[in-house]
Amino acid sequence: MRFNTHYRPAHSLTVVELGPNETVRAEASAMISMTRNIRVATTGPLNRSTGGFFGGLKRAFLGGETFFTNTFTAENGPGHVTLAPALTGDMLVHELAQNHQLFIQGGSYVAAPDSVQLDTKWQGMKGFFSGESLFFLNATGYGPVLMNAFGAVQTIDLDGELIVDTGHLVAFTSGLQYTVSKASAGWIKSFLSGEGFVLKFTGRGRLYVQTRNPAEYGRSVGRALPPREA
Amino acid sequence: MVTRTPALQMETRLNAGKRAGFFRVIVAFFVALMRKFLGGETMFVNEFGGPAGGEVVLAPSLAGHIMTKQLAPGQVLFVQRGSWLASTGDIDAKLRFGGLRTLFGGEGLVLLECKGVGDLFVNSYGGITEVPVDGKFIVDTGHIVAFDGSLDFKVRSIGGVKSFLFSGEGLVCEFSGRGTVYVQSRNLDALVSWLTPLLPG
Amino acid sequence: MRFDIIDAPNFALLRIGFDAAGEKIVAESGAMVAMGSEIDVQTSMRGGLLAAAKRKVLGGESIFQNTFTAKQAGQQLFLAPPAEGDMRQKVLAPNEPFFLQSGAYVAHIGDGLVIDTKWGGVKGFFSGVGLFLLKITGPGTIFYASYGALHEVNVGAEGYTADTGHIVGFSHGLEYNVRSFGGMKGLFFSGEGLVADFRGQGTLYLQTRNPSSLASFLHPFRPVKARNS
Repeated sequence: MRFNTHYRPAHSLTVVELGPNETVRAEASAMISMTRNIRVATTGPLNRSTGGFFGGLKRAFLGGETFFTNTFTAENGPGHVTLAPALTGDMLVHELAQNHQLFIQGGSYVAAPDSVQLDTKWQGMKGFFSGESLFFLNATGYGPVLMNAFGAVQTIDLDGELIVDTGHLVAFTSGLQYTVSKASAGWIKSFLSGEGFVLKFTGRGRLYVQTRNPAEYGRSVGRALPPREA
Repeated sequence: MVTRTPALQMETRLNAGKRAGFFRVIVAFFVALMRKFLGGETMFVNEFGGPAGGEVVLAPSLAGHIMTKQLAPGQVLFVQRGSWLASTGDIDAKLRFGGLRTLFGGEGLVLLECKGVGDLFVNSYGGITEVPVDGKFIVDTGHIVAFDGSLDFKVRSIGGVKSFLFSGEGLVCEFSGRGTVYVQSRNLDALVSWLTPLLPG
Repeated sequence: MRFDIIDAPNFALLRIGFDAAGEKIVAESGAMVAMGSEIDVQTSMRGGLLAAAKRKVLGGESIFQNTFTAKQAGQQLFLAPPAEGDMRQKVLAPNEPFFLQSGAYVAHIGDGLVIDTKWGGVKGFFSGVGLFLLKITGPGTIFYASYGALHEVNVGAEGYTADTGHIVGFSHGLEYNVRSFGGMKGLFFSGEGLVADFRGQGTLYLQTRNPSSLASFLHPFRPVKARNS
């Protein structure tokens, strides 16, 4: 299995090259195109890799991902599937090694082979003013994990401390601890400053940061759109 | 803000202009509160600094470019309100409205008149094209990032059947004289018009 | 007349330089970014007044177009589509057809170019969002845009399948059929809508982003309608 990403960093598309009978599991809405010999199955919630029945439900309602994922298998020879996210931005692959973990912010996960297991780890902290909620998918096992970012990706190998705005976090590896706090002292200042919640990371590990904030983008553009029914 | 080193402090203050008197500050405060509740841009800014120094990474909300302009004494640059990202040094940015309606609805052209000495960071939706003007030039208001203070400008609506020409409110800015206009290649109003038919009810 | 596409592939902008008075270009309404003051603009209805009145205005179709004619040499005109992404120009030979998704059209040059909006009109092609296929026949030059990057696929004997929301256009030589992805269950559960299976020999132009997905993302951020008492 190979992931080749083109048109980086803004309008990225990943071509997943599959050998005969190879399968990739991908988020439902990410498929753009594929060769005619790809067999698609919709995995229901009863699949161990996707976290089991309750894992599926948890992911659907808390993880920011769609309920069902698709498996794409190349039949009678090699084939490919092209995947892309909904928003402008880059795509990246993290090679997960056995006994290491990757925590992926909900909405950023795109695809991985079956050798990678996903579970929902819930932070449960809803940003009071920012409207951001923190949910992470916990990836274990081994293999390439394809993720998307809103904007470009900054890869930071941290050894020390760093404060990151929650809306700009894509993923981080084990080895890092974090605490959540408001960006400004006081609620009024938080409201006026426009900054929401921040994560203070300490330790040694890798952070993937995106250069745009989806919730902030949603608010900037959303408020200019015509009103909707409640 | 995207990331910052922990020792750096963030202070939120009102951007009423560097030499604003008491009355101006009060007016600015009420205008800011009104605009915040009505969903407009605010006049509050965040100041990052600290005795130990550090690093802060900033990004705007829309996709596009960031341009750095070094302002020299006497130089004036008008920046469209949504395009101002940050500044260093001693730059004064005064808010200029294109009429009373702009106070509430964000219609028309809301500009920051920037003067002083320092670095000015301006962002765009889309790419930035520098257009040297010598004579007359017309730009859709939604596509204006910034322009030299040496240019005369007049905002007018196109009106009539021709209002279908332009996306959004059909407002254009007519520049005359000599100077540079910085044009962005995308426009939030055009995005809204394009997406509206695709939105669920 | 000179033109070049700048800021591609992310925020493509079409810059036109008129070399003589009388040179003109026709563009989608709403595409004007900036222009010199000595350019005449005429707004007309696509296909003429009667045809426009008869047609329902669907999403993605504007009944207006603008013709920009230079009154002087040296005038500049800048045009842009609403979506972030790329733009390309295609020169069509006499009678050469090109099939383009209606929302992708930006502008064209050449009185001989024919844009047929009633051809095909298979509403199902674009998931009922009111977009349809334009059949464009040369001679002339057409400018079209993609939302996201433009991804070209050379379709051969093995065929190819693409999500219809990501189709920008295709050359002649291809046949297609539209189906829902994965059957009924697929439509509801897998998050995808319609796909088109292509056969033949030709080039398929895909875009790497899709406006319906953006609209779905932004929907929860819209202001909520106030209840009328």
